Amino acid sequence: MSSLTKIPAGVQYFFDDEVRLRRSVEACAMRVFAGWSYDEIILPIFDYHDLFARGMGAEKAEATYRFVDRDGALLALRPELTSLVARTVATRFLKRERPIRLCYSGEVFRYDDPAERAAREFHQLGVEHIGEPNIVADIEVLLVAAEVLTTLGLTGFRIALSHVDFFSGVADFLKLDAETRMQLRQLIDRRNSLALSQFLQTVAPQIEQERRDDFCRLTQIAGKEDAIQRAREILLNEKSRAAVEHLAHIYSTLVALGLGDNFDIDLGDTGGQEYYTGLVFKVFVPGLGVEVGSGGRYDNLISNFGRSEPAVGFSFALDGLVAAIAAQRQAFRPDAEAPQPIVVNGDLSAAFGKARELRQQQKQVKISAQ
Amino acid sequence: MPNNQLTIALSKGRMQDDALELFARAGIVVEESELKSRKLIIHSADQKYAFILVKPGDVPTYVEYGVADAGICGRDVLLESEADVHEPLDLKFGHCRIAVAGKREVIGQDYNLLATVRVATKYTRIASEYFQQKGVPIEVIPLSGSVELAPLIGLSDRIVDLVETGRTLKENGLDVIEIITESTARLVVNRASFHLKRIEVGELIAKLTAVLQ
Repeated sequence: MSSLTKIPAGVQYFFDDEVRLRRSVEACAMRVFAGWSYDEIILPIFDYHDLFARGMGAEKAEATYRFVDRDGALLALRPELTSLVARTVATRFLKRERPIRLCYSGEVFRYDDPAERAAREFHQLGVEHIGEPNIVADIEVLLVAAEVLTTLGLTGFRIALSHVDFFSGVADFLKLDAETRMQLRQLIDRRNSLALSQFLQTVAPQIEQERRDDFCRLTQIAGKEDAIQRAREILLNEKSRAAVEHLAHIYSTLVALGLGDNFDIDLGDTGGQEYYTGLVFKVFVPGLGVEVGSGGRYDNLISNFGRSEPAVGFSFALDGLVAAIAAQRQAFRPDAEAPQPIVVNGDLSAAFGKARELRQQQKQVKISAQ
Repeated sequence: MPNNQLTIALSKGRMQDDALELFARAGIVVEESELKSRKLIIHSADQKYAFILVKPGDVPTYVEYGVADAGICGRDVLLESEADVHEPLDLKFGHCRIAVAGKREVIGQDYNLLATVRVATKYTRIASEYFQQKGVPIEVIPLSGSVELAPLIGLSDRIVDLVETGRTLKENGLDVIEIITESTARLVVNRASFHLKRIEVGELIAKLTAVLQ
């Protein structure tokens, strides 16, 4: 070791108020999850590397910290929790009634971001809703996510909704191969309208320019009912249309619940992660330049573990929630009472007797030896 | 700061004037007195926009972290930073090229005959990626300025640098060997602001699009 003070890049130590805040944010989220009947599952910190490769794909599993077991098997620190939940459900919960609702809170470890500053350890809080293919489950998890933010006192948050079939419908329609599909995905993701328009001109010269331009505008900026309406007008393929109608249905329900302000329709979100199959969403909170959470439907993931069933879920980054609370400087503070001081001078049994009495009344005590 | 104000990071220097001129044409005007002050944060006359003036290479960082909702910087800077931001508009000014250059006598020389090519540059990421794709092993020598000097005094075989007119190169006996990519000024937007200030960002993009056409 070069120095006792040196800390590996990307790890963190927390103490004092920071710990109290983090723990109370965690407890708050877990209470909300429990309120919607999600049962907590405690998962192992490491498992076989192969499990994560099966779950989120070989590429994602490359970002894991790996080491070998005594028998030479390759192990990995968990880079995410969904694969562990999916495997458990597909193997050990075969006989349980569906849907299954599970929630978790725990650290994951990744070194995918080459940036020096990037964290390697992340605390995630999330839920998985398994066995329900219906829109009901999509709306349920969105409401759970929104309630966590509201309960934390975070105002002005936005949850941007999209659907992977919107993009893949367009890509299928244009008969794109894997590589051009990836290019289109990147252009849409960067909201690069000029490059997108030039790209479409090359791959889809048969489509009239006006319609291509409409598509560029549609993916360039998020919207509300207007985005749904514009999408309906310009889409030519069934898959994308069905995706937009699914979003419209979710969105109108959220509006009816008075949550219209907190949700956007963002057809420029192409889903990102390969394993998503339906609704996808990202959560943004004022004061924070990055998303604090994300989620979506992943109906094919569990089949990688031998049983095909639909699922939808999301996770929050605890660091993000804590930073957002700090940025909004609002009153979410852990309840801390000043401890009762107990001075021990001479009579040990009297002093500790007093302390024990206060403890029986659930009071916080602090012993000081004179 | 009012919640619906947009903070925009501008590259200090020449690009700053072009950017402010573009904003003025789009109806986003900064008063002369505000410009002449030495303030690091200046406001548009209507107070809807705050501009922060930062080093060109830092613009993507301010925007990625969300302390600026949007920014204007060259595509060269954006490529080099690999910042995770939206890039909705090509603003069509600040045109230049990122090129490989070297002494006249090395032009046309086959890279494969060299064990490793030493490349001095401010754009270490762009240079590494470019030569990697060509399958040419290189040793990158990071410099922060006067890159043209490197081949003259034997620090490197080649340089990767911005070329506008090519005059500086010529005057130093250097020439462009290959163009890596072209660059113009870009509007970049933070991923969270894009949603949290959807209306304001949409308005900005619409205003700029209107004057660019």
